[in-house]
Amino acid sequence: MRAIDVTGVRFTYDDGTEALCGVDFHVSEGEFVAVLGSNGSGKTTLIGLLVGLLKAKAGQVCIGGREIGSLSTEELYQRVGLVFQNPTDQLFAATVEEDVAFGPRNLNLAEDEIQARVTEALAAVAALPLRSRAIHHLSFGEQKRVSLAGVMAMRPSVLILDEPTAGLDPAGEGQMMQLLKKLNREEGMTVILATHSVDMLPLFANRIYVLSHGRVLQEGPSEEIFCHQEMIDRAKLRLPYVSRLMYEMKRHDGVPIDGLPLTIGEARAQLLELIPKGLILPGLEEQRP
Amino acid sequence: MFDLFSDIFTYRDNALTRIDPRAKLVIALAALIAVVTAERIVLPLSVFAISLAAVAVLRIPAKLVAVRLAAPLSLVAVLVVIQMFVTGTTPLFTLALGEWQLAAKAEGLRQGALLGARVLGAVSAVFLLSVVTPAHRIFQALRWFRISRNWLEIAILMYRYIFVLMERVSDLAAAQRLRLGYRLRGRALRSFTALVGATIIHSLEQSQRTHEAMRLRGYRGTMPFGPLPPLVRRDRLILTLSVTVIVSARLLEWGVTG
Repeated sequence: MRAIDVTGVRFTYDDGTEALCGVDFHVSEGEFVAVLGSNGSGKTTLIGLLVGLLKAKAGQVCIGGREIGSLSTEELYQRVGLVFQNPTDQLFAATVEEDVAFGPRNLNLAEDEIQARVTEALAAVAALPLRSRAIHHLSFGEQKRVSLAGVMAMRPSVLILDEPTAGLDPAGEGQMMQLLKKLNREEGMTVILATHSVDMLPLFANRIYVLSHGRVLQEGPSEEIFCHQEMIDRAKLRLPYVSRLMYEMKRHDGVPIDGLPLTIGEARAQLLELIPKGLILPGLEEQRP
Repeated sequence: MFDLFSDIFTYRDNALTRIDPRAKLVIALAALIAVVTAERIVLPLSVFAISLAAVAVLRIPAKLVAVRLAAPLSLVAVLVVIQMFVTGTTPLFTLALGEWQLAAKAEGLRQGALLGARVLGAVSAVFLLSVVTPAHRIFQALRWFRISRNWLEIAILMYRYIFVLMERVSDLAAAQRLRLGYRLRGRALRSFTALVGATIIHSLEQSQRTHEAMRLRGYRGTMPFGPLPPLVRRDRLILTLSVTVIVSARLLEWGVTG
């Protein structure tokens, strides 16, 4: 079953900027899809169309098989949830609990149900201890997690995130991506994230859409996407650092590497095969104090 | 600036923060009415003393108290001085300012002292409320008392975004300072006006983004408020006792002055 179906969508801003020019974008239920593009590529416009903040000038946007215009706001926002890039934009209540309860209260749910959803959403993002804290007393990473909980409390089947790791430190980045992976793999939530950060995508995304100047340059699993160096350059992106290293070793030093490893694990396995067995000390990690 | 709005103490666990916000609001309101209508300085000064004592017991830093009371204290000083020289007929002493002779009068001093005591009593009561009750609990209580949703919605958003804007203004001002934006008087004026303009634009953009975020979570023009549990027996007792004491003190004063 398709969660999102975008066909031939065009969008032009009032100042004449053509942000999307005939974009096709399809996501199945339970997928983890990344929209990769440099600044100004059309990622945010595409997200705006998916959540109904913008209206396409041409083409069709369907959510769960229904045309977006035919869905009431209640139906739409229980199907798709958007986590903004900057949590400040999204956290408007005084406390964490009030903010996470905002959506369920707008659905006119019973208070018991609202409290259950708040607990569940905060637990899912490991933010239960923050429940009674004031929003302006939270760190940036905590605000990011709470803004995700606020959207999850609406129980959408599709979660859209705009640059979810922007502004986070490396540990926070890893935590956020692991959290999204857990929501996708264990809760079955469809996750779409817009980003220009490439290093973690091969570990998490099932498929990647590369956007450039409002057009989809390529779509497919990460191993297909990152083997097209020229297309990556054209989109003003880059390879993951580990892939770049292996690519340079292959190109300039003639190191016989099959394909292009995208993760540290893949690169390590390939390098281990190339290094003479006598030079490798097995079990070195276990011998360390 | 941040001290003026700091609410970190309201999230501490103590005897006063545990009291229901509705009870605290009614007690504060009763104290305010008693102070504002007082005809002698004893009652307002008692409220001031009790509030300051409570603040001291709660270990609220003196710096925060000083920052929050600085403006009303200055107002009190101005009030007393103006009243002393403008009102009354019985001279206390005379000040010679060049060719001018300013006579301080006893009635004016009494009137100024009463007005000053009222200001101090009222401000300290509100200050005490503000350091033992988080803003969102006050808004919840106000909603429970049927205060207009629209007013409260604006107040909630103002309260939330005042911290965001303060942070932004502080960053922008620092960026200007680092590039010598405040070195000369003329340049400082230009930097300041640019800062004000940037803040207005930022707040407009912020409001647009926040409205979008609210819409995406089902906002349809009215912000929902969480319910408050019924008042527990202890809070009912505190409320009854406090209001009784305040009303009795006011009536007692009325009897004395009447």
